[in-house]
Amino acid sequence: MGTSALLSLGMKAMFANQAALQTIGQNIANANTPGYSRQLVNLTTPEGQFTGAGYFGKGVNVQTVTRAHNEFLTKEAASSKSLAFMDSTRYSLLQQLEKVFPTGADGLGQAANQFFNAMVDVTSRPADPSARQVALGRAQELAARFSNAGAQLADLQSGVVSDLKADIDVVNQLSQQIAAANDQVARAIGTGHSPNDLLDQRDQLISRLSQYVQVTTLPASDGSVGVFIGGGQRLVLGNQAQTLSATPDPYDSNRVQLSISEANGSRVLDESVLSGGSISALLAYQNKDLQDARNLMGQMAMAVAMKVNSQQALGLDLSNPPGAGAPIFAVGSPRTLPAITNTRDAAGAYATTLDIQITDPTRVPASSFLLRADPTGTPGQYELTARPDGKPEVLTPADIEKRYGVRITESGAPMQPGDSFVVEPVAMAAGGMRRVLDNTNGLAAAAPVTATVPLTNTGTMTVDSLYAVNKNLDLSKVPMSVQFGAVNPADNSIAYSITMSDGSVVNGNWKSGSTIGNEPLAGIDLGFELRLNGVPRAGDTVNIDPTKFPAANNSNAKAFLNLQKESYVGRVLQADGSLSKGATITDAYAAAMSDVGSRVQGSKYLSGVSAGVASDAEQVRSGQAGVNLDEEAARLMQFQQGYQAAAKVLQAGQKIFDELLALAQR
Amino acid sequence: MRIATSNMFDTSISTLQRRQQQMQDSQQRLTSGKRIQQASDDPTGASRAERSLSAIGRIDANQRALEASRNSMTLTESALGDANEIMQQIRESMVAAGNASYTDTERKGLADKIAGLRNQLLAIANRPDGGGGFLFGGQGSADPPFLDQPGGVSYTGVPGQIATGNVDDFPLTVDGRAVWEQARSGNGTFVTEPQPNALTGAPGKSWIDAGRVINPSLLTGNSYQVQVSGTGAGATYTVTNTSTGAVVATAPFASGKSIEFEGMAVTLSGTAEDGDQFTIAPSTPGLKVFEVLDRAVSELRTPLRSGVQIAQSNSGRVRDMDAVIANMQSARSQVGERMNNLDGTESRMADLKLYNQSEQSAAEDLDMVQGISEFQNQQSGYDAALKTYAMVQRMSLFQYINS
Repeated sequence: MGTSALLSLGMKAMFANQAALQTIGQNIANANTPGYSRQLVNLTTPEGQFTGAGYFGKGVNVQTVTRAHNEFLTKEAASSKSLAFMDSTRYSLLQQLEKVFPTGADGLGQAANQFFNAMVDVTSRPADPSARQVALGRAQELAARFSNAGAQLADLQSGVVSDLKADIDVVNQLSQQIAAANDQVARAIGTGHSPNDLLDQRDQLISRLSQYVQVTTLPASDGSVGVFIGGGQRLVLGNQAQTLSATPDPYDSNRVQLSISEANGSRVLDESVLSGGSISALLAYQNKDLQDARNLMGQMAMAVAMKVNSQQALGLDLSNPPGAGAPIFAVGSPRTLPAITNTRDAAGAYATTLDIQITDPTRVPASSFLLRADPTGTPGQYELTARPDGKPEVLTPADIEKRYGVRITESGAPMQPGDSFVVEPVAMAAGGMRRVLDNTNGLAAAAPVTATVPLTNTGTMTVDSLYAVNKNLDLSKVPMSVQFGAVNPADNSIAYSITMSDGSVVNGNWKSGSTIGNEPLAGIDLGFELRLNGVPRAGDTVNIDPTKFPAANNSNAKAFLNLQKESYVGRVLQADGSLSKGATITDAYAAAMSDVGSRVQGSKYLSGVSAGVASDAEQVRSGQAGVNLDEEAARLMQFQQGYQAAAKVLQAGQKIFDELLALAQR
Repeated sequence: MRIATSNMFDTSISTLQRRQQQMQDSQQRLTSGKRIQQASDDPTGASRAERSLSAIGRIDANQRALEASRNSMTLTESALGDANEIMQQIRESMVAAGNASYTDTERKGLADKIAGLRNQLLAIANRPDGGGGFLFGGQGSADPPFLDQPGGVSYTGVPGQIATGNVDDFPLTVDGRAVWEQARSGNGTFVTEPQPNALTGAPGKSWIDAGRVINPSLLTGNSYQVQVSGTGAGATYTVTNTSTGAVVATAPFASGKSIEFEGMAVTLSGTAEDGDQFTIAPSTPGLKVFEVLDRAVSELRTPLRSGVQIAQSNSGRVRDMDAVIANMQSARSQVGERMNNLDGTESRMADLKLYNQSEQSAAEDLDMVQGISEFQNQQSGYDAALKTYAMVQRMSLFQYINS
């Protein structure tokens, strides 16, 4: 036992306290550094020295510097952050989408209503050019609102693509950096001490990566970490990182999909396997919400434009001589998009082409479809799947037309197995909508036929309205006359017979409130609808003649007004062959608006929940790993005092040594 | 549990930001007065408000249609009023023309007066509605609807009426044919008409009045012929139902005494002459105003008529005028009734609009009391948060070990 032992003990103690102080300084310095884990000095006591008087301590050893780190909490914080980023990205994207569906007077429903309300004034003054001008102005406004909405949706789509590309760039950089960090860690780990700051940095990179895409990590024995996305797809392994890229959708080049490069080319990652992160939100938004919005908007545009145009075609305009009305609106055409992998002919063009036509705008659904050749190889049948998540069904073109009001014609070589098309009946309709009628005289306010009751009638019957409802009205069979018979006491109906100019006769039954001429269920489909007031007596007649004075006739304009209350948007074919009631244009818009609104509401709620979860997880993680300055201040004092005490030990050793020297001097 | 200092700052800051965001939202709601800014604020309420707004738009349009109809109906009502006044004057002249002391010249003067009034009436029948159409245009007509042609005035329009409106139907025009050309002939049930004497071919010496219905339940709707046999005292008359061929009445001729058969009664006056005959036919709805007037004018202008002829003609034309006046008045009262309906519809529409407005307001407007108290709540909450934040963040151990 000598003073050298005491000196060495004091020195060790000073060194240990200094090391602790240095670590505390590091902690204080990095208190606000994201991803920094609090560091601690591991102090140990070396084995004592045995003497005859027992074991004497040999001071303190600084074993290593560790970081306060919990693997589980770190993973948990990163994955909940990933979900929170997905939800908040979706929320902000949907908020943009919601702006395309404004409420109240700015909405599309109101624009349609204003057009029909302007037609009321045309009905009041059928020959008045100013009333017609206003109606055309409203038509312009309606078309412009639809096409603006379509343009906004296209802008949102291109915004999604550029966001996705930017995010993918960041992900690629981050995975490169993680690979580099892995390399450094693997090299440093050989020293036997953990490279704390390097590990923190890598954890922080993984956490940042989680903002963009949900990852799972798997530590390897060499200290590196494997990073996987999309249910086991390798992104970083050791010091190797794969690259993600945005590749064009095989059908629609305006859309992109996520691909990962592999040794044998790139592979497409389905959005459904990415469970978190902003990239997953962007892909889901592109493939679902934006498509739904385009289809909803297009369905309304297609239905209203085609209904108005067909009613317009059934009337007479004010030109001289009066002719059938020309279309008021044009909409973007339905389209089919071949997959780029489809069979091509020798010249490199697609071997099979599909032509598509809307035959009944009221049945067209607000969806796009994926069309494949029948998997069993039966010709003349297709496998049709509603995008993005419908069930595949095998249908003939006739079935498709009956169900969806869409006629699909195949031309060129027969479709090969493996070929596929995306069928978009209405997706482009809204964006391409415009008014094509410019002349006020072109508005067909008059019906081609007029009904009159002769003087000789004895009943109280008068004509309420008469207008054409479809193309079955054959003007070559006009004039016609409707002759009423006796009342059937069983159900108070009155038999009538319609005699046409060619001598043919159609018989039917009329009841108060029912219409004549358009009763497809009773087998009467003459293309006009005659409504009566009052009651006819036996022998009374109504004469139907060609309209003599189109300038004064407003019957077709009144038929337009019926389009305002008719439920024609989105009728669905029922199992029994009948059509369900659709929605009026106002209701269809209100439904679309509240659909998007409730998506926003739902995503807002979700993003609130997942942000809360993420913030809790982060709080727990940082509670374990973060720096508390008050704690560091206390520890600072603790080790300062320890350092002072160790210095005192040295001083004591020095003094003892001095005493010894002084003794020896004497 | 330990709390990381930087996380504590982050959490506090994000909480403060959230509170600020909420206050901003409340403030925006208070400024606009609307609870629903976007559909996502309340999807159901937004679509409810959307429907109400569309209903309000339709009611407004319907109101404009109603005004157009009211305008037409007011003009028509006043035109029919004018027409009625003129018809009364014409009738007075016609009655005056029955004065037995008048000469052909005086009757011709009255005929000229009636012809002048007839032209005024034609102008009324062709009155425009101020919007490019005609009040009596029916379902459309040439320009103008009543054409004065050599064969008399004819209606060129398409009979019927045009209605406007999207919720209810409001008439825009009146059927000109129904008003001007669709009076029931005769007394409304049957038409008596003198025929030339069966034996001489000259006009009869007796005349027949318009007749009346005495028992509606006995009416047959058949045609009859009244035949006088014998001259002077002792003469008889026979009424034959020409549809069935049966003789329904026969009696001695008595001037001014009514003959009753099968629910109706007619009176033969004057002196009986063998061979005088009259027909009685069912009334038809085709009596035209201008035809009646033209006939009256031409009869009044016919010189050298016997007293019997004059009496017969006057009684017949006054009867016809009464029929057309009655028809015109019934049209006028129909128009008045429609205007009445319009008033009723207007107040019903105002109620409906009010209902929809309150529905819209209930769906999307902000309850101000609730909004303000919520805002104040948030304000004091934010205030407290700021104060405590400042206090807590000031506390640090380093402050105490400074000294």
